[in-house]
Amino acid sequence: MGVIRPDIASQMVDLCAALLLLTCFAIVAQRRLSACVDLFALQSAFLAVTAALMAFLTGIHHIFIAALLTVIIKVIIIPRILKKVIKRLNVTRELVLNINIPPSLLICGALVILAFYITQPIISLGFLLTKDSLAISLAIVLIGFFTMIARKKAVTQVVGFLVMENGLFLGATAAAYGMPLIVELGVFFDVLVAGLIIGIFTHRLQDTFDSVDTSKLTELKE
Amino acid sequence: MSAVALLLLTPLVAGFVSLGLRRADALHGVNLTAMLVLAGAQAATMMRVVQHGGFRAYHDLVAVDALSAYVLLIITGIGFTCSLYTRSYFEHYRAQGTISPVRMSRYFFLFHMFMFTMILATLANSLGILWVAIEATTLATTFLVNFFKRKASLEAGWKYLILCSVGIALALFGTVLMYLSSVRALGDVSGALNVTELLQAADQLDPHAVKVAFIFILIGYGTKIGLVPMHTWVPEAYSEAPAPVSAMLAGVLETVALYAVLRSKTVVDAVVSPGYAGNLLIFFGLLSFGVAACFILIQRDVKRLFAYSSIEHMGIAIIGFGIGGAVGTFGALFHLLNHALAKSLAFFAAGNVHIRFGTREIGNVRGLLKAQPITALALLTAGVALVAMPPTAMFLSEVSVMTALATHVSGGETFHLGRFLTITIADEARNMGLVSLFLVLAVVVFGGFMYRILGMVWGDPPAEIQQREPWSLAHAPFVVSMGALVALGFFIPESVGELMTVAVKILTAR
Repeated sequence: MGVIRPDIASQMVDLCAALLLLTCFAIVAQRRLSACVDLFALQSAFLAVTAALMAFLTGIHHIFIAALLTVIIKVIIIPRILKKVIKRLNVTRELVLNINIPPSLLICGALVILAFYITQPIISLGFLLTKDSLAISLAIVLIGFFTMIARKKAVTQVVGFLVMENGLFLGATAAAYGMPLIVELGVFFDVLVAGLIIGIFTHRLQDTFDSVDTSKLTELKE
Repeated sequence: MSAVALLLLTPLVAGFVSLGLRRADALHGVNLTAMLVLAGAQAATMMRVVQHGGFRAYHDLVAVDALSAYVLLIITGIGFTCSLYTRSYFEHYRAQGTISPVRMSRYFFLFHMFMFTMILATLANSLGILWVAIEATTLATTFLVNFFKRKASLEAGWKYLILCSVGIALALFGTVLMYLSSVRALGDVSGALNVTELLQAADQLDPHAVKVAFIFILIGYGTKIGLVPMHTWVPEAYSEAPAPVSAMLAGVLETVALYAVLRSKTVVDAVVSPGYAGNLLIFFGLLSFGVAACFILIQRDVKRLFAYSSIEHMGIAIIGFGIGGAVGTFGALFHLLNHALAKSLAFFAAGNVHIRFGTREIGNVRGLLKAQPITALALLTAGVALVAMPPTAMFLSEVSVMTALATHVSGGETFHLGRFLTITIADEARNMGLVSLFLVLAVVVFGGFMYRILGMVWGDPPAEIQQREPWSLAHAPFVVSMGALVALGFFIPESVGELMTVAVKILTAR
């Protein structure tokens, strides 16, 4: 950490985390499906930069591996799968949302405040370098969760889920300097397989229901 | 080869071998062999734990104690009866020609992966690997749930995948928080998420972080257990999955997810006062019990009925663990085993009924005793067990949980209303209230459940239904499960009893 002054290093990490949060809002504000996927890839790229920065600043080298895996899986492979799915389906835009975009953005703002409020008592626990990252990561998790509720198309719900994963990963990397390597590898494996399975599933939804609109899944009701 | 290696490798090898096989006989053969090997490895592990206590292996990645050996017993035991049942179940669909050989081999591949992930979850020492394994159970079972590729099963599979993935993601956040507090105390070591290390360093962990972490962990794994209000996927997935898969999901997977909560709870109890995690569990347990009891009354589909009964029994088990103490914990542990036996038996019977009658609607099934006497007997036994009547073992475990609830001591509840008004409720008064609630709900379940089951068993079957069920090897799983359910009501084998005693000690260490 000798190369860069601690306060500057801390601000660099905060900047990266803030960029991640910003892309979340961009995803919430975006109706076009392929743009949502692109934004997710961008967010994952920011995540990889954050992780690499952390690895460089702290000298914990196994975070580099996590950063590399993020680039391979979340910036390249999963967006490709999703793009393929979108290409095959003939939907490009989400016209009807469960919750419209302006109120969605306001709710997301409230979620960020909530996240800071929840993490207030434990924020002092984090390392000095990354004090605010935990709150931001929880905010990203909550916004991802909200996206899944607010949107109807299967693809955007998946993007919401992946955004949640990104938030969790930011929390693990920034707040605790990465989980043990074996755990992290396992998590990446799970995310990759989940991406594949969801891709196959969306195909089947399209084939069977002629739509990926999850509000049409109404066969099973109490 | 050590028993632990055998436990992990057998399902992996069997899974990949199954992928290359096409003949049904060969697939069933591999499946049964794998289950026998697993049962043997489990017995060896259990004996070792009973005689020499818990042990760790592979650089502390694996830690086996009485609790994990006990859950392994449930996994391998029900896995074995399921494999026996799978043969007769799929024989019908294969004869019909609905399932191609390729799909059969995929089914067995996924089934073995499912077994592998559950065994990995119970053996793992690290809370992180435990999380990875539980998430992997969702991924392995998604395509099993929508195996029949009907419209409804596709919907069930999607809901299952999305809800459980999101729930589990919250559990990961809890795990990260747990790691955050331990990494402060232990430093950045690879073992900082290991339960054994966390317990040793318990007094250095930050109570605030651990408390918040447990809430996330409970909600996350609670989705997988099927606790209300995260239970909505349960009836859908259980009713649409093939019967052997429903039996595994209801009997075993719920137990494994609950195991994940219990492991985290031991750490939380060591850091903050035991009442904290306990009260949360009692709250969710009572809520699940109550809501499930109401929904049992209005079910028309037999598999959905059993699904709600699963939610109910997990609620009861969680109440037992929440109260803690020797009686409550023992009752809850015993309840898990009994529930796994009874619920798998119930789903086997439901599978047979579905094959014969071609419907899952309770109203369309009549005169089972005449059409399928053995299945009817199995359904009756499972029904009697699931409403916790003697002579089945469920009666003992549910009464233990209730006894614990009646004698629960917490030093009185105090509520502050505003600044001046403080209400203190004495233990006796609260326990009376809770026990009455418990009894009322149990009666509601008894009525609703038995009414449906008896309606299916008695009466005359529709004319077009074949009225014969000769004894065959296909009834082996029924006999085994029924026998175990009744026998456990009278005596518990010594080694299993020993295992449970030690597991209770582990769970009530503080």
